[in-house]
Amino acid sequence: MTKLIGQRIKRNEDPRLLTGQALFVDDVNIPGMLHAAFLRSDYAHAYLRSIEVSAALNRPGVVAVITAQDMGDEWQPGPPLVSPPPTVKGVIFNSRTQVPLARDKVRHVGEPIALVIAENRYIAEDAVEDIDVDLDPIEAVVDLETALDRSAPLVHADLDSNLAAHLVQHRGDYAAARSEADLVIKRKIVIDRGAAAAMENRGIVADWDAKSEHLTVWDTTQAPIPIRNGLAQRLGLSVGQVRVIAPFMGGGFGPKMMMFYPEELLIPWVSMKLGRPVKWIEDRRENFYATTQERVQVHEAEMALNKHGRVLGVSHNFLHDSGAYDPYGLTIPLNTQSHVLGAYDIPNYYSDLKVVFTNKTLTTPIRGAGRPQGIFVVERLLDIAAKELGIDPVEIRMRNFIPPEAFPYEREIIDQAFAPLILDSGNYKPVLEKAAAMIGYERFVRDEGPRLRAEGRHVGIGIVTFIETTGVGPYEGARVTVEASGKIRVATGVGTQGQGHFTSFAQIVAEQLGVGIEDVHLVTGDTSDFHWGTGTFASRGAVVAGNAIYASTQVVREKILKLASKVLEAPEEELEIEAGQVRVADIPSLSISLGELALLANPLRGAVQPGTEPGLEATAYFGPQYGAAAFGVHAMILEVDPETMMVEIKRYVVVEDCGTILNPMILEGQIHGGVAMGIGNAYFEKLIYDENGQLLNASLADYLIPSAGEVPRIEVGHEETRSPLNPLGTKGAGEAGTIPVPALFAQALENALADLDIEILEMPLSPNRLFEILQKKEKEK
Amino acid sequence: MKLEGEYTFDGPQAEVWKLIRDPEVLSTALPGTQSLEQVSENEYQGDMNLRIGPVAGVFSGKIIVSDEVPPESCRLTVEGKGKPGFVNGTGDVQLIAQDDGKTLMKYAGEVQIGGRLASVGQRLIDTASKSIISQGLDTLNRALQARVAAQVTGKEVEYTPPSESEFAASVAKDMAAGAFSASRMVWIGIAILIIVLIVVLVFISRGGN
Repeated sequence: MTKLIGQRIKRNEDPRLLTGQALFVDDVNIPGMLHAAFLRSDYAHAYLRSIEVSAALNRPGVVAVITAQDMGDEWQPGPPLVSPPPTVKGVIFNSRTQVPLARDKVRHVGEPIALVIAENRYIAEDAVEDIDVDLDPIEAVVDLETALDRSAPLVHADLDSNLAAHLVQHRGDYAAARSEADLVIKRKIVIDRGAAAAMENRGIVADWDAKSEHLTVWDTTQAPIPIRNGLAQRLGLSVGQVRVIAPFMGGGFGPKMMMFYPEELLIPWVSMKLGRPVKWIEDRRENFYATTQERVQVHEAEMALNKHGRVLGVSHNFLHDSGAYDPYGLTIPLNTQSHVLGAYDIPNYYSDLKVVFTNKTLTTPIRGAGRPQGIFVVERLLDIAAKELGIDPVEIRMRNFIPPEAFPYEREIIDQAFAPLILDSGNYKPVLEKAAAMIGYERFVRDEGPRLRAEGRHVGIGIVTFIETTGVGPYEGARVTVEASGKIRVATGVGTQGQGHFTSFAQIVAEQLGVGIEDVHLVTGDTSDFHWGTGTFASRGAVVAGNAIYASTQVVREKILKLASKVLEAPEEELEIEAGQVRVADIPSLSISLGELALLANPLRGAVQPGTEPGLEATAYFGPQYGAAAFGVHAMILEVDPETMMVEIKRYVVVEDCGTILNPMILEGQIHGGVAMGIGNAYFEKLIYDENGQLLNASLADYLIPSAGEVPRIEVGHEETRSPLNPLGTKGAGEAGTIPVPALFAQALENALADLDIEILEMPLSPNRLFEILQKKEKEK
Repeated sequence: MKLEGEYTFDGPQAEVWKLIRDPEVLSTALPGTQSLEQVSENEYQGDMNLRIGPVAGVFSGKIIVSDEVPPESCRLTVEGKGKPGFVNGTGDVQLIAQDDGKTLMKYAGEVQIGGRLASVGQRLIDTASKSIISQGLDTLNRALQARVAAQVTGKEVEYTPPSESEFAASVAKDMAAGAFSASRMVWIGIAILIIVLIVVLVFISRGGN
């Protein structure tokens, strides 16, 4: 068997992508297609008094203008996507889901109020401006910390307060641990908002064919099957009448998950009403208002330690901003709770979570999804404790790691899968040692750092660790078929947004079936090809879909060998599959091609034996018992320019352990992209809302994403601790690059500015914000 | 958001008050005013063209004037909206006579801005509004000096206000040159601009009665 899993193989999909041959939603153009534009609220919080659409309707080329009133009984709030929260005692959860079009009140800037359908987008946009809407503004809820005050206005007037959820989790006895501690570190930590800022905005094309009673939808979704199921239900169709296609996508990053955005329901709905295909492509400004965001949390956190630097316990009360609605339940803050203990064996923990409604765009998971916040809290507290105790930051981490013999390790905290988190496997120390060696940690701390400091330069080093829970269930499936051409067709339900599935999945299949990577044709994200599954998110594609593909390939391999054994009159054990041929190992001339076998497996004449199936095909599913936990260490050396406060990242090292590596090149690509996003989260990307809930930087001219100039060369090292939870031994890696970067930046900045003795307790920073922190420090002196 | 600002006119308080009640002078000092009508004793409606960088369009404004104490002060409330967004605010305007015969104009108030004007125009608002205010008030001040000179000499002094395009060109030049350094309190600029617009609109209307 030619070893393909783990090989550095160039991506199958790249020639199509690089030559512009790949289909994206905006490439879909259907004769007679109409175009949509939305009227969105300019106010964060206002009553909708009246809406006058006649001028818009009278504009030539306008086909329809839809308001909430026009939808009649079909106007319904969106479905809750992640059903009510876990069975934790005393949990409060107030479910308020987004509405298709605002009916009596708008709750965030950019909330859709009316939908215009016209012959082209230009006319639709002009007609949006013809609509006269009377919005009567009321005070907006913006600040997380005052949102729960009695005097605060209510985002949802039917609730007593802006509390969306309240949940307390604990393990051990923190109070007792605290009373025995030699040192207690207590800090307030604030993390603000960012956007996913995918290169491609959202888009949707819906085509209702009245004669065949069939709806086809092209959607920039990471989860086409749940969208298909939801659309069928909402539109009164059978699932067989709806086909959802998630074609190539310019990035997902979370917000394109199974959101059921208002637009995602309305475009198919209006296509059915009008009997015409309809296209809507989100523009960049809409993306800033109407695509979900993340990260806002405020923590009051403490860590109790003994004098040897062993962490006895962690406690925190934290607020999480859900925005105006909470369809995604508690996924993000549950991830935070399950990551606040990081990679460490911390026996006592107390966590009080309050989720708050505000008049801002909804928050749902973005790459990292609550984990960067949790890791930021624990890594920061650990750094501060290390400084207080005079212990080296690397050493204090070593002292607190979960030891390899402790796995599977029970964290006793319910996570996003609504079950107590278990870390399946890990061996953390070698990863940290490798990262420290790669960056030259000891040499920097001993020689280089002091030398540069003596030269008056502000150069610092940082090194942090993180875990990432990945590869959660419930399941994915795949169908593998050997075609008469000898090529292999693989269909799976997950969508693809640039993860390299066409190659890494092909490697799994090609290795088992003895064909070339280029002979494996993969179909992802088309419900007509495979219609059971959930989607691509939570770093689960390679783990869950990958193992489902592995399982179905195994069955097909058995079928091939069984049939070939009959045809070649040789025992199965003596057969091998190589270069698209099944042959007898000792007599290579005795062989048959996979294509010929596929034809024989689907005969035109004769009688198929009872109890057998035609074709060399199999469908199989994989659902892990629980998620696999990946681990990694990031380290960097950065220099701060004291004049401009700009940073230059001089070295960036990542050592990751995500179990079995399918393709190191693809993995490294994922890591690189993740780090770039993390750099944005740490030092550039912040959505700025004013006190009235107005977003002040809704353009890429003002909302800065890192460019090639800010993203350094990234050196990646690997360790492989196989997950015992799946046959391939894989763990997810999609979010790993992003999660620890803010914590790393904070440590490295403090180190670079050691003479100024600052503490970084907030993210994202910016050159301007760093300047302010330094100014404040100066004044205090 | 709170705001405040001030400007010194080279002329006496009574003349400044009279000047800013002269609709012809005022409409030329801030070009772009399309219409203004009185809908009740203290309430006015009008349209004005506004351009801040990439954000341009007509604003329809409603203005309520109250607590008027000529020639010293008044309070203004504005609700304006247009394709680029909305502007709502309340402001107090004061004219204070100075010992040297000059007049200090002070504004203070609170303004809310939303829509595209806030989200996309934000980075340009500071420079653009400072430039518009400064040039608008400078124009008024030149008109004032022309009048004062006429009173002294008995002769009309030639005064040519800028056209809308000249005005826009000057603003663009200021922005390009970075003549107005960026301030962290970016909103103050636009707020002042709006108050000035209100003052202008109100007095154009009053003068016309």
